[in-house]
Amino acid sequence: MNLIWRQALILLALASGIPPSAVAAPGDPPIRRYVAEAVATESGQSDDACLAMAVSLAFDADRIYIADAQDCAVKIFSKKGRFEAAIGRKGSGPGEFSFPSGVAVFGGRIFVADKFNHRVQVLEASGRYLRSFGVPFAPDKVFVLGADRILVTNNGTGRSGAEKLLHLFNAKGDLLREEMPAYFSGDPVFDAFRNMFLVNPGPGGDFFVVYRSRERSILHYGLDAVLLGRIPVDERYARKSLSLPAKGGPKEVEAFCWDSAYDRGRLYILAPAYTGEGDLGPGDQVFVFDGAGRLEARIDLPARVTRLAVDGGRIYAIDRASELRIFRVAP
Amino acid sequence: MKKVFLLALAGLVLLSSALVFPLALSAHNVNECYRDYQVCRERALNLDAPWTKVALVLTVCDIALGKCILGFNV
Repeated sequence: MNLIWRQALILLALASGIPPSAVAAPGDPPIRRYVAEAVATESGQSDDACLAMAVSLAFDADRIYIADAQDCAVKIFSKKGRFEAAIGRKGSGPGEFSFPSGVAVFGGRIFVADKFNHRVQVLEASGRYLRSFGVPFAPDKVFVLGADRILVTNNGTGRSGAEKLLHLFNAKGDLLREEMPAYFSGDPVFDAFRNMFLVNPGPGGDFFVVYRSRERSILHYGLDAVLLGRIPVDERYARKSLSLPAKGGPKEVEAFCWDSAYDRGRLYILAPAYTGEGDLGPGDQVFVFDGAGRLEARIDLPARVTRLAVDGGRIYAIDRASELRIFRVAP
Repeated sequence: MKKVFLLALAGLVLLSSALVFPLALSAHNVNECYRDYQVCRERALNLDAPWTKVALVLTVCDIALGKCILGFNV
C-alpha cells in the first residue's frame, strides 16, 4: 500500500471534513454488506427458559450454552432456540453457582467461571458435577484452549497496578502462566473501562484479545498465552468517542467494540452505538475482519445485541431484553 | 488568647478522631467492605448497560467502599 498516496487521501479527507478513519486506501477491496434476518426461536416456553442476566454464551455442535448470572444457572438451548435444560442453582456446593459469569464447552464438558465462589467448575453435559479448582481472584470468563489448557480472565480490582488479567491453568487447576498487566492509574472507574477486554479462541489453541476501548489492534496469543503479535485494524473501522465522568474531570474513551467473536479465520466485532442520550451502548452492526485486520464486511442485525457468537452463517446473540436471538446472515 | 483557643480546638479534634476512628474501624470488618466492593464492581461491569451509566454505578461502588471503611452508616 502506498503510504504517500494514503497520507494524501487523509489530508484531502481532513480538508473536506470526512474523518480519516473513513478513508479507504487504494487497493483495499470494498466492504461487503450483509443483512441478518431473525430466525424464529422457541425459547419462552417455561420460567426456566427465561434469561434474567445472560452474560456469556458458547456453543458446540448441537447446543447453545448461556451463563445466567442472576439465576445462578447455565441454560441450555438447541441450535433452533428451543430450551432444553437449566443446570445449577445458587449456592457454594458442588454444581452450585454464585454469579456464573462465563461458560465454555469442550470435549462434551461444560466449564463455568463461578465468580463469587472464586472457582472454575467442570460439569458433564448432563449437568453432573465433575470437579472444580479454586482461583485467587473473581473469575470473569473461561475458555478451554486445549485438553490441558484452561484460560481464565478477570476484570481487575482497580486497586493494584501489579494485577494480571489472563491466567492459564492446566486441567488439574495448576496455574501455568499469567499475562496482560492491568492498566492502573489510581482512578478505579476509568481504569475499569481501560481494562475491559474480550477473548476469542482461535482454531489451534491460540486466541485473540480485543480491548473494548484501550487500543484498536487485535492481540494474538499462542496456546501458552504468549503474545505472538498485534494486528492493527483497518482504518476504515471508526471508533466512537465518549466523555466519561472520572476523577479530576471527564476523561475521553475511544470505544472500539462492544463484543466480539471468532469463527473460521475471521473476527467479528460488534460495534458500540450511541444511544438517544449521547451515551454509548450495544449496537446492531457487526464488522468482519480477516486475519490481517482488514475490514471485509459489515452485517446489519435487525436488533441491538449485547453478546454474540458466530457459527458459519448463523449468529447467536443476546438482545437488550436478555433474550436469545438467532440470526441468519443473507447477502 | 485566640491562639490558645485555636490550639485547644485543634487538640480536641485530634483527640476525638483518635478515639472515634479506631472504634469505627474495629466495628467494621474492612475485608467485608472490600468483598462488598468487589461484588458491586463486578455486577456493574456485567450490566451491559451504556457506559456512562456503568461509570456512575462504579462511582457509587467507590463511595460505598469509602463509607464502609470509615464506618459511616448510610
